[in-house]
Amino acid sequence: MQWVQHNKIWAGAAALILIGAYAFYFVNSNIAVSMFSYAWFLAVPLVLGAMVGVMGERSGVVNIGIEGQMLVGAFAGFFAAAATQSVVIGVIAGALSGIAMGAFLAFSTVVGQLDQIIAGVVINIVATGITSFYFESGKTIPRGLPNFDVPLLSDIPLIGPVFFSDGPIALFALIIAFTLHFMLFKTRWGLRTRAVGEYPSAADTAGINVVALRLFNVTVAGTLAGLAGTYLSMEATSTFERNMSSGRGFLALAILIFGAWRPLRALAAALFFGFMQSLASQLQASDVVNIPQQFINLLPYVLTLVVLAAAAGRVRAPGAVGQPFVKGD
Amino acid sequence: MKAKPFLVAVPAALALALAGCGGSTGNNTDTGSGTNASSAPKDCSSEDVFCIGLVTDTGSVDDKSFNQAAWEGVKAMEGDGIQTKYIETKDAKDYASNLKQFTDQKYDAIVTVGFLMTEATRTAAAANTTTKFIGVDQFQESDVANVTGLVFPEANAGYAAGYLAGLLTKTNKIGVVLGQEIPPTQNYAKGYEQGSKAANPKISVAKVYHPAGDNAFSDSPWGAGEAKKMLAQGADIIFGAGGGTGNGALGEVAKSKGAGESLYCIGVDLDQWDTVPEAHPCLVTSAEKKLTDGTTTLLKQAKDGSIKGGNFNGKTGLAAYHDFDSKIPAEVKTKVADVVKGIEDGSVKVA
Repeated sequence: MQWVQHNKIWAGAAALILIGAYAFYFVNSNIAVSMFSYAWFLAVPLVLGAMVGVMGERSGVVNIGIEGQMLVGAFAGFFAAAATQSVVIGVIAGALSGIAMGAFLAFSTVVGQLDQIIAGVVINIVATGITSFYFESGKTIPRGLPNFDVPLLSDIPLIGPVFFSDGPIALFALIIAFTLHFMLFKTRWGLRTRAVGEYPSAADTAGINVVALRLFNVTVAGTLAGLAGTYLSMEATSTFERNMSSGRGFLALAILIFGAWRPLRALAAALFFGFMQSLASQLQASDVVNIPQQFINLLPYVLTLVVLAAAAGRVRAPGAVGQPFVKGD
Repeated sequence: MKAKPFLVAVPAALALALAGCGGSTGNNTDTGSGTNASSAPKDCSSEDVFCIGLVTDTGSVDDKSFNQAAWEGVKAMEGDGIQTKYIETKDAKDYASNLKQFTDQKYDAIVTVGFLMTEATRTAAAANTTTKFIGVDQFQESDVANVTGLVFPEANAGYAAGYLAGLLTKTNKIGVVLGQEIPPTQNYAKGYEQGSKAANPKISVAKVYHPAGDNAFSDSPWGAGEAKKMLAQGADIIFGAGGGTGNGALGEVAKSKGAGESLYCIGVDLDQWDTVPEAHPCLVTSAEKKLTDGTTTLLKQAKDGSIKGGNFNGKTGLAAYHDFDSKIPAEVKTKVADVVKGIEDGSVKVA
């Protein structure tokens, strides 16, 4: 209850959206479910990408290499699965490749004091290069990750079919957003992470190992980026295309800011963006209004820009983001 | 600590700007070329030997796609006094040098594959006026005497696919997931809608184009999402027409409950049974451009000298039904075959 009093606007907005969604559901359940499912389908990699950003930036490391980490994850997952004909090995390979990319960013920026933006750009360029150089057409995997119904939860009207009858990585993305929110604001690890991202010298004085914590967070976050990529190549589809991430990593960064560096708000922001795309595609497919599809497809980007412009002045990045930590400096 | 809004706004704007340019293409940076020679090289400048060279688009001749189909068309010509050879292009910047390898040896006919090679083909043709060039899938804006563009009326292929979909649908709702909105995809969509309405006047067709971008033909996750949405809204047949984007849609249908029982998908351009194995559970057929047939026809014309510059309309139709051959009612098959024949002889009008 205290939470509701402190967050009147957010609670109100959430309630309104929920009521609106169910009103839509009762008017036309088919279209409502399909549009929200599509929104979530597109939002999954964005949510995972934004969580990578949350973990990095909350501890003071900017990660603009999410795009590249995702791409390598998609590539490694797919080709490991194609070579071994096992989807499980593919998922593991995707996650491991994410860890490797995360570790590169972590060690080069935290230990090597490399500029964080440059390290991120390096990741993106290397990822594009590697994945197109070693790309082989004609490889196939036995099947993509299957969808399944979560018992009980999938029976909830609207929410069930949208969130609880997808594949394992989509479900994981939902769980990780809530878990990370809890961890960040309710646990010792979260407090320390935020301290390190806000004012590392003070955290250091208090006895927190800034370097170790940043290394850990950025490396582990890489797993999520790897899984986001694996989602693209093995769950959303069962194929790999050159440059498959196609800007989703950068979009995740925008969503991270839109979501004010908070996991649950980023989840909401990703869903908002997904829903706008869903709306655009629905307007195009049903042909109700006769507007050229290029204009309709601008909608998600324009609306995101507008909301971002309105929100940007009110959110604040973690204080130490982008600054390398030098002990005693 | 004072709030610094620009610290937020600047990366935000940067992120959006970068998101916009995230789709740059990555081409294979490997250089060099793979070649083959079917037999000991003969003297192509001699009258007795008819030499046919094929330059692939980036990719190999066994890519199960355009390159392979065109090469099979060349191989069909093999026989006495004919020499065939291919060069695999590894990088788009090698088009001209690969063509030069053939023109230097005075090849009689050269086949180039894919619309990306249109310019390189025309340039080579201007320099070698005695050689006949066949550009597969290369629409000629203006006629050059020794270049023949093998093009395919997509609307006809789309019509046949739509007609089949119109006969097969139980829900009277079908969908099509397309790449970027350009003439070939527009024609596929137009034909598909028209064909489905001819077979079933009550039908409604949902169609979406990829929001233009340089990944419009390789965004399989987007295609899959669109297919998912269409299925949830009751569509039971999805036509995927847009390279990797369309293949994403096929894969999604194949994964859905009821694939092959009540849900079907239709591929595009080539027999996608070979190219998209993950679509096997739902893939009834593909709206096919008969590349192999068209290439052979034009090569025969080149050999007897009747070939003309400009554009040559290749045949279109539907690929084999494969595993669905026994599941599709015989009367549907006859009706579709009649329509395909009708399109060919002109009795079925496709606008």
